[in-house]
Amino acid sequence: MRPATLVRLALAGTRTDTARVVLTALSALLATLAGLAALTVLAIPKPAGNAWVESEQYRNELLREPGLRGGTAFALLLLTIPVLALAGQCARLGAPTRDRRLAGLRLAGATPGQVTRLAVLETGLASLLGTFVGLGVYLAGRELLHRRDGQGRLALPTDVLPSVGAMAAVVLGLPVIAALATAVMLRTVTTSPLGVSRKAARERGPRPWAGVLIALGLTCFAAIRPVLYQLDDEQVARWLVPLMFVAGGLAAMIGVVIGTGWISYTCGRLLRRYARRPPALLAAGRLMADPWAGSRTFAALLAALIFGGGAAALRAYFVAQDALEREQNQLDGVDRGADPFYLSTMDLVDVAVGVAVLIAAGGLIVALVEGIVSRRRAYSALVATGVPRGALSRSIAWQALTPAVPAILLALGVGTLLGRGLFPRAATGAGSVAVCDATAALCDDPATRDQYVRFVETAGAERVPDVPLEQLAWLGAGALAAVLVTVGVGLLFLRVSTAVDELRTA
Amino acid sequence: MTQLQARGVVRAYGPTPALRGVTLDVTEGEIVAVTGPSGCGKSTLLHCLAGILRPDAGEVSWRGHRIDHLSEAARSRLRRTEFGVLFQFGQLVAELTAAENVALPLLLAGTGRREARTAALTWLERFGVAELADLRPGEMSGGQQQRCATARALVTEPRVLFADEPTGALDTLTGEQVLTQLVRLAREQRTAVVLVTHEPRIAAYADREIVLRDGLVDHTGLGLDVPLAGGSR
Amino acid sequence: MSTPHVLLGLLAAGSRHGYELKRAHDERLPRARPLAFGQVYATLGRLERDGLVAAAGQDRAAGPDRTAYALTGEGRATLDQWLSTVEPPMPYVASTLFTKVVVALLVADVDRARTYLIAQRAAHTARLRELTTVKADPAATLSDVVAADFAIAHLDADLRWLHATLDRVADWHREVHP
Repeated sequence: MRPATLVRLALAGTRTDTARVVLTALSALLATLAGLAALTVLAIPKPAGNAWVESEQYRNELLREPGLRGGTAFALLLLTIPVLALAGQCARLGAPTRDRRLAGLRLAGATPGQVTRLAVLETGLASLLGTFVGLGVYLAGRELLHRRDGQGRLALPTDVLPSVGAMAAVVLGLPVIAALATAVMLRTVTTSPLGVSRKAARERGPRPWAGVLIALGLTCFAAIRPVLYQLDDEQVARWLVPLMFVAGGLAAMIGVVIGTGWISYTCGRLLRRYARRPPALLAAGRLMADPWAGSRTFAALLAALIFGGGAAALRAYFVAQDALEREQNQLDGVDRGADPFYLSTMDLVDVAVGVAVLIAAGGLIVALVEGIVSRRRAYSALVATGVPRGALSRSIAWQALTPAVPAILLALGVGTLLGRGLFPRAATGAGSVAVCDATAALCDDPATRDQYVRFVETAGAERVPDVPLEQLAWLGAGALAAVLVTVGVGLLFLRVSTAVDELRTA
Repeated sequence: MTQLQARGVVRAYGPTPALRGVTLDVTEGEIVAVTGPSGCGKSTLLHCLAGILRPDAGEVSWRGHRIDHLSEAARSRLRRTEFGVLFQFGQLVAELTAAENVALPLLLAGTGRREARTAALTWLERFGVAELADLRPGEMSGGQQQRCATARALVTEPRVLFADEPTGALDTLTGEQVLTQLVRLAREQRTAVVLVTHEPRIAAYADREIVLRDGLVDHTGLGLDVPLAGGSR
Repeated sequence: MSTPHVLLGLLAAGSRHGYELKRAHDERLPRARPLAFGQVYATLGRLERDGLVAAAGQDRAAGPDRTAYALTGEGRATLDQWLSTVEPPMPYVASTLFTKVVVALLVADVDRARTYLIAQRAAHTARLRELTTVKADPAATLSDVVAADFAIAHLDADLRWLHATLDRVADWHREVHP
């Protein structure tokens, strides 16, 4: 196949294909920005001196303190997870039509390799475009935001640049990963020229194995603290703790996503048994026929909610710690709480969770609209036989909401339990604190300071943090609202998709 | 007695005219074949008669009442009570079993689940596919799917059945079996049938034949508008 | 005409008199035109002259028509060759239906031909419906159905031809009368 033919065939698509290319590029852009931001934070040079010497040129503590920068970069990288989930959902946009088109090319004599090359070319080029634009936006933003405040400090690390190799890895690596993912997803099309034609055997519903994964994740998190305290060997702890952290988090997240498949199937079975009206019956049939649709659709949202739940538990811990220390100090006659830094950091984390939920909602809309558009022939045939559009709308709502509500609750619950496992109780240790009862000027002067300082003995105390019900309720309501808005937007497409003209283009 | 009436029906798709003024009457219980070459407007006429499409001009009446002015909801109600609709293929809901598919119009009309299933099983039995009741469309052959679709179109005992190339995707023998059962059951319950086809041997199941040509009824004597001794009962 | 081959075939089972051959022919091919005695003897005479059959014992007392004939080796070879030769499929397009349209175009105008085609189509369609009714009758036996099917398939083919020719008759007329 000549390159010109390859490009011509790769471009022979509909508007849906164009939309897919644009969205793929857009998600590649977002992922590039997140990746480059993380790399920039890591690129900040550690100033000379001991581990506590700060980089004085920045305003934000997250950037100043070397010990916190790793966490900041990690959080930025975590933001790429919902972005990548969005990319995955965008890649499915119009995919059934494309799969049929590619299967048609196979029937016309194209080899599996040629067809794969076509699809890989499309995704790869689109992502490459996205990453290049992303690089441009990053470099431009770096110039624009490079402003020093009155004290000559920077809001963002615009004075450092990651190494060229690292930037190239992001800009070129993301398209390669996207292209590989496309090649994997196209396996069924390339192996059979008939593509995905007829599903004969009924699959057995998902088993509740996801519960094992979730339990594993929770156990890992709960075990981190005891391991840290009881392990004398610091060398082992250095690799074991991060491993438990990553493995536990992944296990819990995969467990929740897979568990949504089981939830969908079970909801479908219950609906099928008890539904009286056709909308619920239609939804039940679809939930049982493809229980994994829910997992695919909600994956990004659920991941964001697990983080949200964990963050809520963490905030509850810091609040409890703050209150505890405040009480202790009051007993000792001092009005002082815990370091407020942690609580303000939690605000940043909450913002990140909110952004993640928003991105996930975008992916949700793409997935739902895609589901409706790809079933347009079936829908318009139903409308032609007299099924009211209202009934179809209700069935779509049933189908989206029935598994969404338990899945959201599960994700929030698992997230909270993960946070709880890591920080089960707030505690203050017993010890003595030096308190200076004078003005700051007198206290700061080493000459006068000793006259005013007294030492206060404090007793240790422990407190179990409250369950952050209010914050969890807000998160759940937000997620549910996102799903509802998504369903609403999806239903706008139903009218277009059930036009009788669809009967003519089978 | 005339039940369904079309007067000067006009319909275009963008700049392309599909129907240029078709007039047609369907009386109770009769079987009318609509034939003609590809692109003559057969399917569009069927869609207009069934209230799926709204004509650009002209009238469609059902038992003396205009239906082309009705709202989409009212026409939907008509389609699932008085009318039955049958296509070439692909109208069964892939995720529902045969029995659930056939029961669907009854459930939409408010029939209870148990009662609807019983009726669905009866109709599947009449088409000789009762053993498929709990299978999904993907697990059946094309002929079996079309039998289920026909059962679904007739389960509400409609007054008119609109069938658009109902055997178009089937082989000759299977197509004839499905059509023979359809015509027999329609005659039993005096359901009128509007049968769109391009095959003479399928049109031969009808009492009379309307030939469409370029969006108009052909009056050159091609359409045998007179019931013949052999065809009608 | 395949009468000589039919006679050779009938003789393959053993020698027969001319009278027996005529009876066997009419029995095996009931819908064919019956053979006249004269034709049987004339054909046998030609076959004997060509050496394909030979007189095998004569009953002179009973007269010339009691002569029995038998297949020669050459006759058997000729029969074998005939049986293994594939018939040319429809070598000549010949049907009254078709011929009549051609003649109508020659002696009259397009309308005359069209009128005939439409009338013929109506008759074909009526017969098709009649046979379809026979076939769709729940009481129809398989013999009825198979017989009706044979006719339906041929009527269906004729009707397709009639439809296509109706669309072409004007152009065809221009070709006949340039």
